[in-house]
Amino acid sequence: MSILTYNGSAMVAMKGDHCVSIATDKRLGIQAHTVSIDFPKVFEMGPHLYLGLPGLATDIQTVFEKLRFRKNLFELKENRQISPQMFSAMVSNMLYEKRFGPFFVEPIVAGLEPKTSEPYICNMDLIGCRNEPEDFVTGGSASSQLFGMCESLWEPNLGPDDLFETTSQALINAFDRDAISGWGATVYIIEKDKVTVRELKTRMD
Amino acid sequence: MSFSNIDAFAAPPLWRNGPSPGAFYNFPNMQSKTSGFVEHSQSPVTTATSIVALTFKNGVIIAGDLLGSYGSLARFRNCPRILKINDNIILGAGGDYGDYQYVKDLIEQKIIDEECLDDGFNLKPKSLQCWLTRIMYNRRSRFDPFWNNFVVGGLQDGVPYLATVDKLGTAYEDKAICTGYGTHLALPIIRDTLQKNPNLSEEEARALVVKCMEVLFYRDAHSYPKYQIGVVTEAGVKIEGLVDVNQKWDLAHMIH
Amino acid sequence: MAMVSSESTPYFPDYGTTAPRTHHFRPYAENGGSVVAIAGNDFVVIGADTRLSAGFSIYTREQTKLFPLSKTTVLGCSGCWCDTLTLTRILSARMQMYEQEHNKIMSTPAAAQMLSTMLYYKRFFPYYIANILVGLDTDGKGCVFSYDPIGHCEKSTYRAGGSAGALLQPLLDNQIGLKNMLNVKDDPISLERALAILKDVFISAAERDIFTGDSIDINIITKDGVKKDSFELRKD
Repeated sequence: MSILTYNGSAMVAMKGDHCVSIATDKRLGIQAHTVSIDFPKVFEMGPHLYLGLPGLATDIQTVFEKLRFRKNLFELKENRQISPQMFSAMVSNMLYEKRFGPFFVEPIVAGLEPKTSEPYICNMDLIGCRNEPEDFVTGGSASSQLFGMCESLWEPNLGPDDLFETTSQALINAFDRDAISGWGATVYIIEKDKVTVRELKTRMD
Repeated sequence: MSFSNIDAFAAPPLWRNGPSPGAFYNFPNMQSKTSGFVEHSQSPVTTATSIVALTFKNGVIIAGDLLGSYGSLARFRNCPRILKINDNIILGAGGDYGDYQYVKDLIEQKIIDEECLDDGFNLKPKSLQCWLTRIMYNRRSRFDPFWNNFVVGGLQDGVPYLATVDKLGTAYEDKAICTGYGTHLALPIIRDTLQKNPNLSEEEARALVVKCMEVLFYRDAHSYPKYQIGVVTEAGVKIEGLVDVNQKWDLAHMIH
Repeated sequence: MAMVSSESTPYFPDYGTTAPRTHHFRPYAENGGSVVAIAGNDFVVIGADTRLSAGFSIYTREQTKLFPLSKTTVLGCSGCWCDTLTLTRILSARMQMYEQEHNKIMSTPAAAQMLSTMLYYKRFFPYYIANILVGLDTDGKGCVFSYDPIGHCEKSTYRAGGSAGALLQPLLDNQIGLKNMLNVKDDPISLERALAILKDVFISAAERDIFTGDSIDINIITKDGVKKDSFELRKD
């Protein structure tokens, strides 16, 4: 078993029509043993900027704190808000600094560009190779299940409500077929004037 | 233990743990296995490289060069491996040449046995292919495989038939089959041609095979400029011996 | 002098080389392929892609992975192709022996049990195959049996297996099992919908799984026999 799937996770982000979604499961485990069912893996990094960190739990927390520090330093120095593009470059850079002793996380960045409100999603591997597709990104131990779900359910220009339904169905059905992720889910729908956070009740087995 | 190590007259080792002049050198840390068990799963010794084969309108064509490689050494330069089985089957073989010769003997005995029945029936390519998959699978299940790729071509009730089997017993039929480096270098050329023209004539098919053997000669290090082409049609089997690759090196000085 | 040594690769301290390593023979190959089966009340459909591959090379684009065992039973196989060839040959021989011994054709549940036994017989040198066996049971109802390589058998109404099994199974859970959906009527699935879902899921699988593609073979089994269909997928 890979160290990336030691704690188990399922995460997905999707682009919609002037909105993006990011959703995660809530489980923390030590291999098959479930330790917590309320473990945060998606973090608010700005008003329209969210960071998801599927992977090894200890590195999730370390990487989050390091990135929060770097993002704050950036915003203080530049006296402006960081855009999702810049932020993902920052994440990628930080991961590549540890090219030969990496953090075991495969981050997902989702957000809206501050000026244009253009949707932005991005994921990267554990050493910071970025991928910025037009549709969706997946991550965690349930990523292949998520690929199958998203590839069928996703369609262009989903409105916020449809995007929520699509993201939720993709995530829940995917992690129901993964033994080490699930146990509840959190879905964030990011729009220009509001961010909706919904906690989903799912099967707990 | 010999006395050579402490022989006062012998020259000392050239360097610490190194060889001594005029003495045999024993590599340190070499452990030779001396188990009484049967040595399974040998690796190939004298090997032959790719086979190129395709079906055309009214038959099948198979080509393979004559080189028997010994590792990277081009050791044997006359190893024919396109075999006529009967009037409507040809066989091409890649991989270990010794294993091929053994299987060839088995097949030839099988042909004699069938001839002895004198029932007027001849072996058909599908039957030979099926039998080959069974002997290959049987040997792989005993962890002592025949290290070969076989390509069977022929006419199954008048219809061109081409199939292959590898050392595991993995078998399939297709219109174009290549083995070894041929899968990477020749097969794309053949698939491309067949897509544009699915019904090649014998001449077109032969020209295509010649082209593929040329490409393989230039880019497969284990290839050889002399090869054989086997063709099976309604007219029977003919194996052209010693076709030469049309070598052209006048561009070579431009490549650095 | 520090010397690293292991049994498989002796280390020569004074030369920049390791001894030639004996190449260990691996009797299994992963030849890819996906199978999806959906059962209805009076029918069952099974689809398998036709790509036969190993690693990054495609052996052939037109290899059917569906094997009819009787007029009402079809087996779909993916995994190690040489094992598949062997297993299906023995299976059809056993089907014939049964027919000649008992003067009747083996029912689908009986064939399913036989397959399980045959797989377990090779428990310590397994057939490396993901099997999905479909057919109509003695009441004419569609059924799907899926197996692991050593003979564990489970009966269900829909199943995805093979290289894209993980991608497709949650989708079937959602679309056919109607999992995680509220206020939906649990009507028995129609043949048209089963075929539409089958094609859709294979299109999705071909997008993300390099071992699935080229085209799919579809067998539709009803009381009237097996009807064959095919559908093109992406070929890259």
